[in-house]
Amino acid sequence: MADYALTLSNITGRGLGPASLALLPGEIAGLVGPAGAGKTRLLRVAAGALRPITGEVRVWGMRVTDPAARRLIGHAGETPAFPRTLTVDEVLTYYARLHCAAGCERAPRGLVREALEIAGLTAAADLRMDSLGRADLQRLSLAQAALGGRRVLLLDETLSGLDVFARRDLRSRIAGLAADGVAVLIAARDPAVLERLAARVLVLRDGRIVRAGPLATLLGERILEVILDAPPAEPPPGFRVTAAGLEAPLTGRTVEAALALCRAHRLPVRASRVRVKSLEEVVLESHDAY
Amino acid sequence: MRFLRCVHAEFLLVSPRLTRTRLGISLVALGTTLVWLSAHALDALTVTLQAGALGAILSAAAIVGDETDRIALTTALAHPTTPLAIATGRWFAIVLPAATLAMVCAAATGWRTDVVVAAVIAAAAVGSFALVLVVALGRGAALALFLFMAVAGTIAPERLVDLARPGMVRLAAASAMELGPALWHYRDIATGDLGAIAHAFAWVGLGILLASASIGRCRSALH
Repeated sequence: MADYALTLSNITGRGLGPASLALLPGEIAGLVGPAGAGKTRLLRVAAGALRPITGEVRVWGMRVTDPAARRLIGHAGETPAFPRTLTVDEVLTYYARLHCAAGCERAPRGLVREALEIAGLTAAADLRMDSLGRADLQRLSLAQAALGGRRVLLLDETLSGLDVFARRDLRSRIAGLAADGVAVLIAARDPAVLERLAARVLVLRDGRIVRAGPLATLLGERILEVILDAPPAEPPPGFRVTAAGLEAPLTGRTVEAALALCRAHRLPVRASRVRVKSLEEVVLESHDAY
Repeated sequence: MRFLRCVHAEFLLVSPRLTRTRLGISLVALGTTLVWLSAHALDALTVTLQAGALGAILSAAAIVGDETDRIALTTALAHPTTPLAIATGRWFAIVLPAATLAMVCAAATGWRTDVVVAAVIAAAAVGSFALVLVVALGRGAALALFLFMAVAGTIAPERLVDLARPGMVRLAAASAMELGPALWHYRDIATGDLGAIAHAFAWVGLGILLASASIGRCRSALH
């Protein structure tokens, strides 16, 4: 049990579960699902901020309610909220003092400096909350969650609503933390933001994990896209109509066989290509299947 | 020791608020008004008590009344602290500016140690009550309490109770006036009334505990 950084066992609550998961040190797992699927609720249960009706959460083998476990787990909420009158540096100093009050070898100043570097906020340290943009607020949210050398991070929509540059930067910072052995569970409404980050994906629907697996496996399936000169009256078996023509999964058949089927149906094929399934498609399929 | 360190961390949030929000200027305006009133209508004891109580309400509105600050309490709870430490620290942060204002007003109207002690204790009790109200209901509650305290601080409670019709309403009003923190209670602290002191300290404890429960509510069960 202690080998896992985070374990959730048979968690149930209002609109949640039963849900179980285990996270290894250094692993990044993505929690995806539509709004209202229970992602935020599950993260708050994992953080010890909400008590489940049944089940338990353990951090490195300790109950999440244990003060020692709470020092190891960081949570960045969906909507970053910090005292408006304070600067980035003052907010982090406040949290660092709380950590040092609980007994740590390092001075608050050192923890703040480290958190600023982790999140890339050193240049914005003297900015006040009301002058921060969304990207910097998310960085600060990550900084406060990671502050004090936390070993498990629960990030709720940390990459959502950001421009591609800020997202790439934050993604690399989260990946850097994971490379140092920090376990990360990150929730996102849009699965695409996790495609280049999460090693494992858990699809949540109505509070239950309906599909889970390594990203490489989930995205392993190939799709044949067929571009047609004219839309078909009826697609061949196993194909579905798209804006440009048809597409079909290549599970259990070759490209040649699929194209032969199109020709047998006298479809005017202009071009074809093979691509891998996107995470968005995997999530939508998993969601619709249950 | 850990609890006290967490309280201290909360308390340190007060100074940026004094200079960067309207709290500082509001306290100066309140003090100036009360000192002016002391020269025209109010006695020194009333002025000093009002400075402590009204200053505590203004501080509570500035320190815990902002919607973002209230949401940020849940972020604070994700760190190694407790709702009780947060409530106690914020209470200290509320009482310090109010007590300072009371002392400044006392100095301006003729320093009397018994009056200052009464004002500081009144600020502590009213600050605790304001903390509960503002954490639970926001700044609107602080405004209502400010107006009530400004009026109830200068009018005899019997006259206020008489405004209500006889019956349950009057009984409820009289009970609320008797049980709640009110300046007519705390005037007697200046004369060493132990009942008034006990009343104030009871509100300090109760207020911090209720505010702590309110802050910790986000950890409620998932039922």
